[in-house]
Amino acid sequence: MSDAIALPPETVEALATANQAPDKPIKDPVQWAKENLFSTVGNTIQTILFTALLVFILRWLLGLIVSEERDWTAVTTNIRLLFTYNYPGSQYGRIWFSFGAMLTTAMFTVVAFGLRPMVALRKILINTAGLGAFLVLVSVLAPTESFPLRILLAGVVLVAIGAGLLVAIPNAHERMVSFWQMLVGLAVICLIATWLVPWGNNTFANGEVTQIAGTIKASTKNWLTLMVGVTLASFFAARALLAVVPDRVLKGIMLVWWLLGPAFLIFLVLRDPSFDWGYVLSVDIPIALGFGLGGAALLYFLSTPGNESLARTAGLVVLGIGVLTFVLAFRGDLSMLQKVRLSILALGFAALLAPTFSGESRVRMRFALGWLGFILITHWLITGINTPSTLDIAAPPFLGGFMIPLTLGYYVMLASFPMGILMALARTSDMPLFRVMATTYIEGVRGVPLIVILFFFDNLLNLFLPSGMSISKLGGIFVGYTLFSAAYMAENIRGGLQAVRRGQFEASDALGLTTLQRTVFIILPQALRVSIPNLVGQAIATFKETSLVAIIGAFDLLNVARNSIPNQPAFLGHALAPLLFISAVYWVVAYSMSRASRSLETKLGVGAR
Amino acid sequence: MRTSLLKLLSLLFAFALVGAACGSGSDNASDDGGSDDSTQSDDGGSSDDGSSDDDSGDDDGSGDDGTVDLVQGGGTLAAVQARGNLNCGVSGAAVAFSFVEADGSVNGIDADYCRAVAAAVLGDSEAVTFVNLTAAERFTAVQSGEVDVLMRNSTWTQSRDTEVGMDFGPTTYYDGQQLMGLASDGFSGSSEVSEIAGATVCTNAGTTTETNISELAGELGISITLNTFEDYNQVVDAFIAGTCNVITTDGSGLVGRKAQQEPEDQEWVIFPATPISKEPLGPVYGQNDSEWADVVNWVVYATIIADENGVTSSNVDAALSGDNPESVRLLGGEGELQTKMGLSADAFYNVISQVGNYDEIFAKNLNPVGLVREGSANARWTEGGLIYAPPAR
Repeated sequence: MSDAIALPPETVEALATANQAPDKPIKDPVQWAKENLFSTVGNTIQTILFTALLVFILRWLLGLIVSEERDWTAVTTNIRLLFTYNYPGSQYGRIWFSFGAMLTTAMFTVVAFGLRPMVALRKILINTAGLGAFLVLVSVLAPTESFPLRILLAGVVLVAIGAGLLVAIPNAHERMVSFWQMLVGLAVICLIATWLVPWGNNTFANGEVTQIAGTIKASTKNWLTLMVGVTLASFFAARALLAVVPDRVLKGIMLVWWLLGPAFLIFLVLRDPSFDWGYVLSVDIPIALGFGLGGAALLYFLSTPGNESLARTAGLVVLGIGVLTFVLAFRGDLSMLQKVRLSILALGFAALLAPTFSGESRVRMRFALGWLGFILITHWLITGINTPSTLDIAAPPFLGGFMIPLTLGYYVMLASFPMGILMALARTSDMPLFRVMATTYIEGVRGVPLIVILFFFDNLLNLFLPSGMSISKLGGIFVGYTLFSAAYMAENIRGGLQAVRRGQFEASDALGLTTLQRTVFIILPQALRVSIPNLVGQAIATFKETSLVAIIGAFDLLNVARNSIPNQPAFLGHALAPLLFISAVYWVVAYSMSRASRSLETKLGVGAR
Repeated sequence: MRTSLLKLLSLLFAFALVGAACGSGSDNASDDGGSDDSTQSDDGGSSDDGSSDDDSGDDDGSGDDGTVDLVQGGGTLAAVQARGNLNCGVSGAAVAFSFVEADGSVNGIDADYCRAVAAAVLGDSEAVTFVNLTAAERFTAVQSGEVDVLMRNSTWTQSRDTEVGMDFGPTTYYDGQQLMGLASDGFSGSSEVSEIAGATVCTNAGTTTETNISELAGELGISITLNTFEDYNQVVDAFIAGTCNVITTDGSGLVGRKAQQEPEDQEWVIFPATPISKEPLGPVYGQNDSEWADVVNWVVYATIIADENGVTSSNVDAALSGDNPESVRLLGGEGELQTKMGLSADAFYNVISQVGNYDEIFAKNLNPVGLVREGSANARWTEGGLIYAPPAR
């Protein structure tokens, strides 16, 4: 939609300001309260009643958090366990590198897609004062007397800053704070919090927790500072790059990186496979090159105009061979590398798609090159995944704690998305066989609880695999969860497909588009746009429901908080503080996703047509 | 066209991801980290030849086709030595037995016995890959050979021992079910179970503790209200809150909680002095592999003999050239007791110097939660306990 924009960023920002209606001036608060809270007798009673209820709930919640028996050192000492479980401390640079890479990715994405929200200065100031007021309220309401005075003080300072600037700056509601200004502001706040605020740090050694006053640990401090630097630097680098490179290219690169980057970070950076280079050079690379170059040549030929029927036949034959290799594997007859089997299947699919790309040689070349890149990257990843890791981990897997909801949630959504699209198309198709199969699958899976599917894939999947082939716990969970999620995804996308008007189908038929072209270029873009709110809802649910893996014994965030920490001698039985902490972690991520989706909806104008 | 290419790419990529996850299966344990050179990837770095190849899955020399009875017929010792790493099944969330410290290391008496076995077999107590197992998974993991030895506070019972596919080693900790009540309710250390008549008794759901207490109440003819919780933390919280008059579980679980969680205004007492059940906890390994069974058993015995002879990790060098002949034989100073088992002569020297003797292991892991040897079944046999080992000669 904004493909045409090649304006300098300043102009874009100015345009954005022009489109955004400035906030209205603030009303007199007393007047506002009279109008909204105490307009009638009934209204007054409701206000008082519900305020009392709110105060009561807040007090109870605060009682949970600040109670004297709530041992928050259980959380602060175990921060590392909560986020990365037993990832070795000597290799922690890998975690920070991955974190920095994702921050860079985020900044480049924000710049490439022009997602640079601007916020009125007034809004920021009001929020600052509001946060301060909340802190003051909290310290007044907190049930224990030992409530730290610092929080009250911080609250008062924040109110003073917010309200003071609000009064001092004349037309705060018209001044906009641009994204980079906010970024710099946040960086300054982060640095102050890291270097000046005396959080204290808990050191764990020889079974003893020692609390050291002062700021957080020096190692963490240095890394955090580097992260702030990386974020700022990558934002400005991306802006500079946008002046040179067209944003279409940058967008394409970012999309590909979002698909590949996380896998690269997880399997090659975090896991650090120890490649046997002799074997890689003599077997892995020749196979990859053979499939890549041979397949590319075949696809280039098959996509020549006039070769459509040949391409379909060839695709079906190759696909058939691919399926056969799997069938034989299950019978125990055919020994070959797993990635060869997968490559044959993928080649079959690609050959079937070839007619869609028939046309000029440039287009066909791109198609062939896309295949080559795909093969090289997937072979690299599969080889990396199957190579033993060099990490010295006490209790595998190397993923644990917060890394499990993060990676599992992301990849389940990513993998179930194309499956969901295919099944939604099958369910709405005119071909009865496809329709029945898709409907059976979707309704079958939706009728079974997720935890049952996870149990099945954890325990029973290995029994169905041919002998010698097995799947790790997280791998099994991933497959089961993806199959489950795909059924829901299909239903969400089907809703979008049905919202596409009949006229769109007829118009594309009238243009002479093939069914595939009609679906890919006309129907799906409109259907997916409508489905965004549902898809984000599903993404949030998927992220949160990864906590079910705790029940089948994976040490994710929930299991660490509920079983690992309360079983350390120092924190025996202290489960509530870790549980409250992980609730906050889940909430922050889920709420951020929901906010991001809302701004995406506004941007795409979903529901406003 | 560019966007369609991207879509195609993403479609294929996601497909490949699913495939990769399936394909990665071939080296199950090693796939997820660990520095082990994988049991199954004997063809160098690539073990993604996932299926059907006959050479995968059994380089432990058992020669059969990698099915459930992988460990039957022996060969675990050779497999562990070839792999250079011990796969040891633990709980990962059992205080004092096997739990994860804040820095990610695994600790506890079970974890230390894993290290002891690794020190004896491989000479390096850190060559252990811990496999966290739930209570439901643990025995299947032994039977299938996923773990070489299971140290997961598992009670030795007749049915488990005679079940296909596993055997029990010597007991490392004698536990037993007890009850805990409030002194203000009239309970004392010498109280009898019959005194809990009419009380609300809480325990975790679905465990043998639940069966034991209700069977005992029926036998004594008293009526109790049994209240079960999913999680032991909830049981203790309910006890603190007063919802439960009495809670019951293994003695080790009660003592630790009393030491850590007893509020200032309450006095908790544990009774009866003689536990109401026997819970001998010890190692579990695959069936019919006496070579491996001997190794695990004698690692446990070696720690006990060292304790009997006063050999600790700090004086082990002196003991090696000392005048106690049993200690010298045990530590490999003379004779060929260890080499005949397929271990190096200094196998038990490594165990004592790297991990410690029984008393050291016990003190390091169980004293912090309030469990002591003196006066319990875990005292030395010379002091009235049950910790006893056959002689090393």
